[in-house]
Amino acid sequence: MEREFWLAFIEEAREIRRREANWGFINKLPPRLRHALVYYVETGDFRTAARLAGLGVEEFLEKAREAGIPLV
Amino acid sequence: MVNIPESVLAEVFSENTLAWITEGLASGKMALFTETEDLVTYARRVVSLSRALPMRGVDLPEAVCLAAGARFGYTVLTENGGAAMAPSFIQELSGVRVMRAVDVLHALAQRGVISLREEIERYQAETGHRFAKRDLRRLGVE
Repeated sequence: MEREFWLAFIEEAREIRRREANWGFINKLPPRLRHALVYYVETGDFRTAARLAGLGVEEFLEKAREAGIPLV
Repeated sequence: MVNIPESVLAEVFSENTLAWITEGLASGKMALFTETEDLVTYARRVVSLSRALPMRGVDLPEAVCLAAGARFGYTVLTENGGAAMAPSFIQELSGVRVMRAVDVLHALAQRGVISLREEIERYQAETGHRFAKRDLRRLGVE
C-alpha cells in the first residue's frame, strides 16, 4: 500500500482511539498507567506504552481494553 | 506452518493464547522460531530505520519478523501498525508480505471460507479491535 494510505491510517487510528477511550475511567487511574494509556492513545505504540506502565504487553493491552481503547 | 519467534512467545501469558499456541505447536501447525544473532542485527537496523521515517515505529520483536520475512520469504502476521506499514517505507523490506487480521479475513473471504462482513463484525465484537474505515473501504466492506 502507498505511504499516503498509511499516513492517513495513523491519523484515523488515533482519532478512533481518542473517541472510544473512556476518559473518565482513565483519568482516575494511577499516574503511571494513566500516562501510558494516554501515550498509547496518541501513538498506537503498545509496546512502549506497556513499558511506561511497567506491565507486559498482554497485560497492558487488557488494561487498554478495560479503558475502552481499541487496538486499531 | 506458522513460526512464532521466541521474543514474541515470551510476551504471551494469557491462558487462552497459551493453550492455542501449545495446541498449534503440538499438532505441528506452529513452530518455535529461534532468532539468530545475524537476524537480530538485521532487525535492529530495521528498528533504527523505522524511527527515522514518518511511519509508526517498529519494535524489535516485529522487526525480527520483518527480517525473517525478507530473508526467508515468510509472510509476516501482525497487528502492529508499524510492522504493517514498514514495507511501504523501507525499501529493503518492500518485497515482504505483511498481513493483519483484516487481510487474513479478506483472504479467507476471497476463498469462500467466510462472509467478510459478518466475520469483521464478529471479530471486532469479540476482540475489541477496530478496523479503520479506510481499510474497510479498501476491501469494499464500507
